[in-house]
Amino acid sequence: MSEKNDLFTLAEFDERESEHIAAPRYSYWKSVWRTFVSNKFVVAVCIFMIIVVLFAMIQPMFSHYDPMYAPNINDPSSKFLGPSSEHLFGTDNIGRDLFDAVWAGARNSLIIGFGCTLINMILGIIVGAIWGFSKKVDVWMIEVYNVVSNVPFLLLAMILSYVLGSGFKSLIFIMCVTNWIYVAYFIRTQVMIIRDREYNLASKCLGTSTWTIITKNILPYLISVIMTYISREIPSNISYEVFLSYLGLGLGQQNASLGRMISAYTSYMTGYPHLFWIPVSLLAIISVSLYLVGQALADASDPRTHR
Amino acid sequence: MEKGYYFKRIIRSVISILLVITIVFVLVYSLVPRDRIFNSDDTLVKLGGKPDERLQYQMRTWQRLGYIDYENMSNYCASLYDAGSDAINACNVAGAKEEKDFVEKYEGQGYTIQYLPISHSPIASKDRPIALRVVEWFRSLIYFDTPGYVDKELFPDLERKIYFGKTPTGGLAIKCSGCEHKYLLYTDLSFPFIHQHILSLNLGQSYPTFDSLQVLNVISDSQGQENRTETVFEDGHTETSAYKLTACKWKNTLDKLDRNKFQDNYADCAIIKKDPSMMGISFIMGVIALILAYGLGLPIGLLMSKSKGGIADKLGMVYIIFIISVPSLAYIYFFKYLGSTFFHLPTAFPTYGVSDVRSWILPCISLALPSIASLMLWTRRYMVDQMNSDYVKFAKAKGLNQTEIYKKHIFRNAIIPIAQGIPSSLAGCITGAIITESVYSVGGMGKMLPDAINSYNNAMIIALAFLYTTISIIGVFLGDVIITWIDPRISLANKEEGR
Repeated sequence: MSEKNDLFTLAEFDERESEHIAAPRYSYWKSVWRTFVSNKFVVAVCIFMIIVVLFAMIQPMFSHYDPMYAPNINDPSSKFLGPSSEHLFGTDNIGRDLFDAVWAGARNSLIIGFGCTLINMILGIIVGAIWGFSKKVDVWMIEVYNVVSNVPFLLLAMILSYVLGSGFKSLIFIMCVTNWIYVAYFIRTQVMIIRDREYNLASKCLGTSTWTIITKNILPYLISVIMTYISREIPSNISYEVFLSYLGLGLGQQNASLGRMISAYTSYMTGYPHLFWIPVSLLAIISVSLYLVGQALADASDPRTHR
Repeated sequence: MEKGYYFKRIIRSVISILLVITIVFVLVYSLVPRDRIFNSDDTLVKLGGKPDERLQYQMRTWQRLGYIDYENMSNYCASLYDAGSDAINACNVAGAKEEKDFVEKYEGQGYTIQYLPISHSPIASKDRPIALRVVEWFRSLIYFDTPGYVDKELFPDLERKIYFGKTPTGGLAIKCSGCEHKYLLYTDLSFPFIHQHILSLNLGQSYPTFDSLQVLNVISDSQGQENRTETVFEDGHTETSAYKLTACKWKNTLDKLDRNKFQDNYADCAIIKKDPSMMGISFIMGVIALILAYGLGLPIGLLMSKSKGGIADKLGMVYIIFIISVPSLAYIYFFKYLGSTFFHLPTAFPTYGVSDVRSWILPCISLALPSIASLMLWTRRYMVDQMNSDYVKFAKAKGLNQTEIYKKHIFRNAIIPIAQGIPSSLAGCITGAIITESVYSVGGMGKMLPDAINSYNNAMIIALAFLYTTISIIGVFLGDVIITWIDPRISLANKEEGR
């Protein structure tokens, strides 16, 4: 009996330790990271995307490309040159270097894509969260939505671009002035789906304020949905800039734009195909990689995929 | 319950349309300077050397388009004196004594007085409030044709009546004497077989492009070359002509040619042309693309959901990602390039024209591409969602085979949200596709809005906004009605009450 007692020593009583609830260690953001990194293909795309984006941001700083500046316009020998070591992507119809032009255009497209998405998402999420949560707001907002979503966007864009002039600020304004309401409507529907779940009801009964319920209970639940939306929103905003530029409404002559390049170079598609295909391919590469990374992030940020 | 819901919804839709039009009115008429409408007006250029006429022409045009109320001396004189008298001649001369009264009268009514640059004769103008213009636009929107249309002073003896008769081609008709149209209601052999002229939409007059045409006619009348055929006129004589005799309107003064052809004053006939209208072309193209989209998108989406994670699924996803993330402009050009180099299809619609099938292939495919992708995506998504639900497991447990579960359970549930979109997309076909139509130079509706805005054709802008809004609201509404047919569990009225 005494022998047995020697084998044991009395552990000290620790009050803090006794209160601790044994639960597997789980950090949301770490799990997001782990899930994201586990897909090697997506990581490769992500690295590629970062390189392209950084290059698009940095290259124009050194090239100082200006679409209005065409020094070789009167020199026929420097027009329509094919890709070479001097001009990596060749030159265009008035002797401008396509390499510089394409990256300057890519930078502008990226700024527009990210900028508009950021503004639309912030406005849309705030308004959408309140809209989805309050039935009183809903009655009014749904009518506002009906009206706003029915004003032809093109009309609004054309009139505003005409009133505000062309340029970065006005283009971003045009692309945000009504588009946030679609984000808000989307968030509203999502919020409505989960606002009456039991845990929110319980939270409400315990006296949690509406604001805390929205920010702490509902929005975190929506992260993966929002990420999915963002991953579609960025390419679609880039696409919209291209569309507006195609109609002559986008950034204006003084800013490089992939959209206007594409529409201007379509006539050379058979004669000088590099002029058309290089901007199109770059645009496609950028948007596809952004979309893929966004989708992967959305998957990773859904707690249900965490192991 | 349901009835009350529909009623409320219709009221709300009408209010929405009203608000949209008001916003568009404000945008168009307050943000765009009114001088711009003359940018492409040749008449004004011709009047360049005559500042008086130029200013008066501008004023008259603004008055015609509803911008301002406008008065000048000659109207004022005509209201004071008889036509042809010495007094009116004296009054019309610049510097006449009546000018002072004119200025006093219209200044008192809130008009702004201007003096013509050369003759210094006064003119008065007053801006019309936008609210008033919106009200007037809606008031004149729907037009009833009645026997009181023809001017009673010019034609006091005209018999005014509505009677039964026959069309020149032998169809039944309700005819009218004294209305704007001769045939109010008639049947013929072309779709939709019964036609009417009793009610018409008045969407305003087009200016400066398609000048002095009704906006509705611009987008809904046939285009291209005149389609001349042997036509039997009412008095029995036959002649090669492009007149559509059932769409003749009243004409106050007839010339000699008219008298040879017509027995009465209904001589202002529509002209039949060979190609479909702008709306028609866009609609045909849209419907073909829609059939393509549903015919391909649905089955491929189903296939993808069946082989989830397999090769078909992955290939489908590549296509979807390509369409979603690459700007439409880029892939439209890409497919245009493919079609023209490998299949030798025409790259411009007018090359072979409307009647040739080859003209339609590429535009229709390019229209269908994005719809196919989104249908694939959503079909797959809904099917996969349904496959994981409890009732499917239950059906499996009961021993139903895979095909039965697919057909009778999953598909019927998954199709509901997809069916909801059909009316919207169908109605949306009328509004046309901007990029596709301009890439292939199709004479459809797609280019109308950008063109109207670029040429400051305000009546056209407002009319198009009205059409787009109405069509989209009706489309959404019909979509909701359709899902209640397909799925009796869904009640629109309950949705209204909230949770």
